[in-house]
Amino acid sequence: MKFLKIFYTFCLLILSCETYAGPLISGISANEINVDTEFKGAQILLFGAKNDAGNVVITVRGPRKNFIISKKENLLGVWFNGERIKFKNSYGFYSLFSTYNDGEMIQQELNEYELGKNNIQFEIQDNLSPTKINEFRVQLIDLLEQKKLYSASTKPIDFLDETLFKLIIDFPKNILLGTYVIEIYLINNGSVLSFQSIPVYVNQVGVSAKISNFASTQSVLYGLIAVFLAIFVGFTTNYFFARFIKK
Amino acid sequence: MQIYLPIAEIPVNIFLILALGLLTGFLAGMFGIGGGFLATPFLIFIGIPSPVAVSTSTNQIISASISGLLAHFKKGNVDIKMGLFLVLGGIIGSSIGVSIFSLLKNAGQIDLVIAITYVLFLGSISLMMLSDSFKNFIDKKFGMDWHHRNDEAVKFQWLLKKIENLPFKTYFSRSEIYISVLVPITLSFGIGILVSLMGVGGGFLMIPAMLYILRMPSNLVVGTSLFQIVFIASNATFLQAITGNNVDLVLGVLMILSSAIGAQFGSRAAYKVDANATRTFLAVLLLMICFKMMFQLFSQPSNIYSLDILK
Repeated sequence: MKFLKIFYTFCLLILSCETYAGPLISGISANEINVDTEFKGAQILLFGAKNDAGNVVITVRGPRKNFIISKKENLLGVWFNGERIKFKNSYGFYSLFSTYNDGEMIQQELNEYELGKNNIQFEIQDNLSPTKINEFRVQLIDLLEQKKLYSASTKPIDFLDETLFKLIIDFPKNILLGTYVIEIYLINNGSVLSFQSIPVYVNQVGVSAKISNFASTQSVLYGLIAVFLAIFVGFTTNYFFARFIKK
Repeated sequence: MQIYLPIAEIPVNIFLILALGLLTGFLAGMFGIGGGFLATPFLIFIGIPSPVAVSTSTNQIISASISGLLAHFKKGNVDIKMGLFLVLGGIIGSSIGVSIFSLLKNAGQIDLVIAITYVLFLGSISLMMLSDSFKNFIDKKFGMDWHHRNDEAVKFQWLLKKIENLPFKTYFSRSEIYISVLVPITLSFGIGILVSLMGVGGGFLMIPAMLYILRMPSNLVVGTSLFQIVFIASNATFLQAITGNNVDLVLGVLMILSSAIGAQFGSRAAYKVDANATRTFLAVLLLMICFKMMFQLFSQPSNIYSLDILK
């Protein structure tokens, strides 16, 4: 069923390419990922057609979050969190695909358009030396790569023929909630010929999402429920045991 | 069977949590100590973030204490006037405790402070219990007299003299003592801070303090202590929920139900077993938890950098 749907969209896409013949056109298999307690990760299929010469670069960026990197220090044998740097408004997910073959070339182009994980922007409140910031920034990217939230390397794009391409975007099970943006660039001779942006929404669904949502939006009520539930259980177990189970 | 904890944000085995609750409730009911000293470290060991472990354990203490309190109420073993002064100090103490807690959490030091306080308290409590058990054992075996009990009162002699001179003295008719209200307020203020930081009921400190500092009659001590714990733990749970969003209701309900049942069986089993042997067992268990926590403090982390993603 799902395959048929993708195939159908694909056909439509090719048709539309023939009709409008834009330099770059693409679509994705799903705009929404629903995360429930059973969530094991998700894949989104992206397909497109390029009708002009040039290289395709695709970035997938996750929701903006605040991150703290702590460096453990040792005092009298005890390990504790020493220096901490807060990176504000940085991406919680970053994945990069491209058709560039030459590693040197791609870095140059990426820097020009501020693409790639090394060009991710963030805000820092404290007045820190650039070397210190860089030390912690490298760790931030490294730790996010370990969590599979950032892709460690640039992934290639599969071409089915001269114009048609497809790729699979992997979202791990520990994915952060929020709005993701897939951006598709067609770059030729240092200029962007075409640009397309597609949003993907990652939502939390199910009972536990409701509870966690309730706990943060109605915290007073949540706290009262926690207290009164405990009082109620205390009373009832005491009652039942006193009545039905003898000393 | 796995269940996802919405606040702790990890899946846990439901039977593991229920077994944990039954065990801590059972031991708590048997020894009359709060289950917090066992529940909080166990929860941390299975991977629950320590702020959630502490706050959810506070939630569980409410129901465990109510269960015991009702029995003492029936027998009239609660000094309500004294209890209310303890509640006053405890509410202030636990409110300040939760503020300290959230300050430490924001500074990234809460895990460290929780681990250190646990190592200190578990270490000293278990060693004291072990030495008590040892003395009892020697007493029985060789008929030696270590004359404890009365020593304790002598230790606090200097403190009691100072207390005599404090203002705001009032008569507590149920306990038949005449003492400054500042004493119970200060006492429970300190306990309140500990309750919020550690997720324990604090009975292990409150009960000896009531006996030797407030000099309350021993039959009123446990009931009155439970009376104030219910209020302090409720205040701490509520504030933990609204300031730090640390209380996990799913985990809480599982722990509350299982530990309440465990406590009932524990208090019944207490009559049937050798008190000294079970005390020794508990002391060894607490000492093992202490060592495990100490190991975590001293062992080299696999990566000295760590990442926190803020909500």
